[in-house]
Amino acid sequence: MAASMKSCSLVNTFRGCEQSASHMLTKKRPLPWSVLSLLSRRAAHLARQQYDVIVVGGGHAGTEAAAAAARVGAETLLVTQKIQTIGALSCNPSLGGVGKGQLVKEVDALDGLCGRAGDWAGIHFTILNRKKGPAVWGPRAQLDRQRYREFIQSELLSTPRLTVLEGSVEELLVTEPNPEEPGHHRVTGIRLANRSQPITASSVVLTTGTFLSGALFMGQTMSPGGRFGDAPSSAGLSHTLRERLGLRTGRLRTGTPPRIVKDSVDLCQAELHLPDTHPTPFSFLNKHTRCKPEEQLPCHLTTTTPGVERVVKESLHLNCHIQQDTKGPRYCPSIESRVLRFPGRSHQVWLEPEGLTSDLLYPQGLSMTMPPDMQLRLIREIPALRRAEIHTPGYGVQYDFVCPTQLSPALQVKNTQGLFLAGQINGTTGYEEAAAQGLWAGVNAAHWALSLPPVALSRTESYIGVLIDDLVCRGVTEPYRMFTSRAEFRTSLRPDNADLRLTLKGSEEVGCVSSLRYREAVRVRDSLQDALAALHALTLSTNKWRNKLPGLQMSENKNTLVTAGELLQYNHVSFEMLASVFPESLSPYAEFSQRLKIEAVYKPYCDMQKKEIERIQREENMSLPQDLDYFSLPVSLSQEVREILDRVRPSTLGSATRLQGITPAAVVNLLRYVHATNAGLKGRTHTNQPERKEERDEERCARNASLPQ
Amino acid sequence: MFPFVCRGIMRAAIHTRRISRGTLPGRLLSSCDGVPAGLADADTIFALSSGHGRCGVAVVRVSGPASATALRCMAGLTRSSLPPPRKALLRCITDAKGKEVLDRGLVLWFPAPHSFTGEDSVEFHIHGGTAVITAVLQALGSVPGMRPAEAGEFTRRAFQAGKLGLTEVEGLGDLIHAETEAQRRQALRQMSGDLGRLYQNWSHKLKRCLAHVEAFIDFSEDELIEDGVLNQVDTSVCHLQAEMERHLKDERKGERLRSGVQVVIAGATNAGKSSLLNTLCQRPAAIVSPMAGTTRDIVETALDIGGFPVLLSDTAGLRDSPDVVEREGVRRARERVEQADLTLVVVDCAHLLTDAQQAVDVLQTHLMCVLSSQEQPETDRCLLVLNKSDLLPECERQKLDREMRRVSGLPPVCLISCHTNDGLQDFLTVLHSSVKTLCGDPLSGAPTLTQARHRAHLQQCVAALAQYKRHRDTDLALAAEGVRLALTSLGRITGRVAAEEILDIIFKDFCIGK
Repeated sequence: MAASMKSCSLVNTFRGCEQSASHMLTKKRPLPWSVLSLLSRRAAHLARQQYDVIVVGGGHAGTEAAAAAARVGAETLLVTQKIQTIGALSCNPSLGGVGKGQLVKEVDALDGLCGRAGDWAGIHFTILNRKKGPAVWGPRAQLDRQRYREFIQSELLSTPRLTVLEGSVEELLVTEPNPEEPGHHRVTGIRLANRSQPITASSVVLTTGTFLSGALFMGQTMSPGGRFGDAPSSAGLSHTLRERLGLRTGRLRTGTPPRIVKDSVDLCQAELHLPDTHPTPFSFLNKHTRCKPEEQLPCHLTTTTPGVERVVKESLHLNCHIQQDTKGPRYCPSIESRVLRFPGRSHQVWLEPEGLTSDLLYPQGLSMTMPPDMQLRLIREIPALRRAEIHTPGYGVQYDFVCPTQLSPALQVKNTQGLFLAGQINGTTGYEEAAAQGLWAGVNAAHWALSLPPVALSRTESYIGVLIDDLVCRGVTEPYRMFTSRAEFRTSLRPDNADLRLTLKGSEEVGCVSSLRYREAVRVRDSLQDALAALHALTLSTNKWRNKLPGLQMSENKNTLVTAGELLQYNHVSFEMLASVFPESLSPYAEFSQRLKIEAVYKPYCDMQKKEIERIQREENMSLPQDLDYFSLPVSLSQEVREILDRVRPSTLGSATRLQGITPAAVVNLLRYVHATNAGLKGRTHTNQPERKEERDEERCARNASLPQ
Repeated sequence: MFPFVCRGIMRAAIHTRRISRGTLPGRLLSSCDGVPAGLADADTIFALSSGHGRCGVAVVRVSGPASATALRCMAGLTRSSLPPPRKALLRCITDAKGKEVLDRGLVLWFPAPHSFTGEDSVEFHIHGGTAVITAVLQALGSVPGMRPAEAGEFTRRAFQAGKLGLTEVEGLGDLIHAETEAQRRQALRQMSGDLGRLYQNWSHKLKRCLAHVEAFIDFSEDELIEDGVLNQVDTSVCHLQAEMERHLKDERKGERLRSGVQVVIAGATNAGKSSLLNTLCQRPAAIVSPMAGTTRDIVETALDIGGFPVLLSDTAGLRDSPDVVEREGVRRARERVEQADLTLVVVDCAHLLTDAQQAVDVLQTHLMCVLSSQEQPETDRCLLVLNKSDLLPECERQKLDREMRRVSGLPPVCLISCHTNDGLQDFLTVLHSSVKTLCGDPLSGAPTLTQARHRAHLQQCVAALAQYKRHRDTDLALAAEGVRLALTSLGRITGRVAAEEILDIIFKDFCIGK
């Protein structure tokens, strides 16, 4: 019955589904059942042509957005050009790193996909910055491209309430602006190419990556598109955003290196880099990674030679990407811009595996856009690559992004209700940045569709919050990448405690966390609290400690009382040492030994930051209405301040405070205004919420109980 | 200005108390949860609350949880015996260790919530000499948990505690604006001196240190960032710390801050600015000639006007000149106007047309032109001096005088002649009252207050650098936090440093390729 209603694109969906199904043998869930249940659900919905949330794009942002929206409880449709490329790693085969690792941990803490996918697909795990302190540890893994795609696809196809559809979006459907509120639109759905009937939805999440007016560059040739081998997206979307919604856009560029045939590389001439002997999983739910420690593959490090610089200079006139005046990233530059900016130096090149069975190597650091013959000449200037063969040449991409200051902290376009943007379309670079935004846009898209209040993450509680706050308050001038130095409260926002910071909130306030994960987070939180209490209850004199732990170095000469918790702050004291002295009270917490050590060391510094954090959070809780007319606001503000506020439209008093040019006096004057308005607002949001909320709570409980894990 | 504010606050306090059992405070109190800029913190703040200038008694105010501690250790009181609330007590006021007697004066104890900030508060009424004030402020700064108050902080705390009524809140923004403006002008003055250059230099070095540590944290795993970078930072941090400690110990090294109300004479060439200076200081301090552009550099002279210290500066006439020296003189003149507490705009009255309305327009345009270097031209901080009245025929002069008294939209106007001293007495009266108003503002030109603030921030900075050293080999994240804190403390003197600035240095100094 359902089959007769299948459209052309639906057939494609199923083909994709079956393809990925064949890879899913190791998944716990029996496949035929899952496919069947999906089949009936899909068909029913396509007949209705209506969803709560539509996500456009199947990259890192799109997949997280779709999965998150479905987890929150929205009927969700993911539209992508090719189902096969869902979860594809378009550029480097790796995940995490310094700063980015924190984002992966946080996405995982909110029950996102990329952490678990990394554990499934990782083939080389390391913790970067191991010697520099736990706050800046950077969990990172080389990935098997195939396995990563498999995991993401099978995960999406088995997510309840989520439908995947192959197709190209021709048009974004928005209402005409409300005559009473000029410039304010509402999204109503999308129209696909080759399909007359529109698909309607309350929310649409656009995650178009580099496809928005994307152009590919290699040598002197330019062709439209966002990724090599994929069709360009239609111009309709770009047109709607710019012309109908009047959004300001800018142009950015990025690039990818050539892929090199592994057998043609002389790896003996490069420096061997081994992974950690005990791989640490990204996900708080995983105790170990899929790849066994001994199965991991190594990476190799080599450097450029003066010959490389020569080839770059000789090929400059053949390289139109480099000549273009578009903003490229300062921290992921092509080899061309590296040697031009820092001539006469050798630059590092990492040779990274592309997968367990792949025949290719990924030369990290050799992103280039010169003609293919010059690319070959260039790489052969490096000793280890003297006989290397190129499998696919490198190329550059230029694409449009929407200036992200036009978004709210929920990543919703301020002038268009229900339209959310995530990933490179907001001017960021990197898988992790995209995944983090995708998840948050998906959550908020679902909240909007289900009439739940929008949710925001503070920069005081997460890197995701830092990322979004930087984007919507400051905007971007170059592709935005996360660094730990962007987070003021780095000592509190550590990779080890992402679950404590976000999972509980994610479950209680956001509704995007499964009950299984929630229970685990509660268990961890309670155990850590108990363990810290136990540590602080154990008090001995310094002399007694010295007797029990020979070799203990303590500066105090006096014989004073010291708790085990205080002792744990010492460099050379580990939890295991203390547990050996007090096995009865401490050994139950052995699994948390590392986390307890970190908590003990960082506690005094986190306490110092707490005051500042609380102040910022209070300011962030005071929202400024988005439709405020700053020019006619009856408070004393200078014209200059009014102009800044009108341009940026900060969503909270906190973000207004951080704007350049806003004086303390202006903040106080705004503050007065906020009180009056906030009192009014509260009344308004509460009116239509209560019944809906109860309904959703019930549904969420039922759903959590049935979620597979 | 400040006495007015105090009065306002007292009125507010009474007002609030009267109705506090009614309906209002619920909303006001909740509203205070989000007061900006470091309000809700538990720091104890102190500041000189009385005006600057000729005064017998100075009032230093303290607010916050450590107030009682400060009172006990500086007024020689034992642990249990605080004075009765709100009763003046005559005590010897000592340094924080109770060793050295600084002054003999009154202390008042206002326990929370019955104080104007709603917190525990203390007032020290001491003798008004600079040395005494400086000593007491420094002693307060050495009590743990105490720091100098930021602009408007007392008032904001009062607001936070619901001690201000709705009408007073309205004026709060303007008050904070005025205070930050006064501090900004003062900071500008100091930052242009040797001391300013020293602090800027430290700030610059610290920025580089932080950038290099951050680069090592964020990039060294993938990039060619040598370990040597950190060793350089170690050396820099050591040097900086030692330098700052030396600076804090050596009292004499600090630049003598220019004290007094800064009054600047400005205007077009040949308007008689230098003549005015000479007339005011009753000696030929500046060269006067009929040639336009005689004065090239700033001529400074210290004056006592009605008992208030004034630093009077004569500046080059403002005009476009091909002469390099004169252009520099004009630049300096504009800079001085920007830093001024009060500007005397001198106009040759022969240039004014007889039609009153036209004269007003001309004067307004001229004012905007002279004051254009100020961030927001403030006509209430300036006086218009119409010079050379002796060159007008008597009837014209009287007419102009009458017109100028009638018009609105202009700052106070004085018609004088430096040649005959005609109208000088009236002008001095106006000048005196302006200077008096300015001196009522404890922030204008009170060097002690700024010195105490700088000291506190530098001490924090040194302590934070110690954190870097402590964690350098064990936890670089915590070590970097130390440098960041140090930079934040120094930034309170030299200006805030944003994260992007650090990233800019990173990308300038290193080739980051991943």
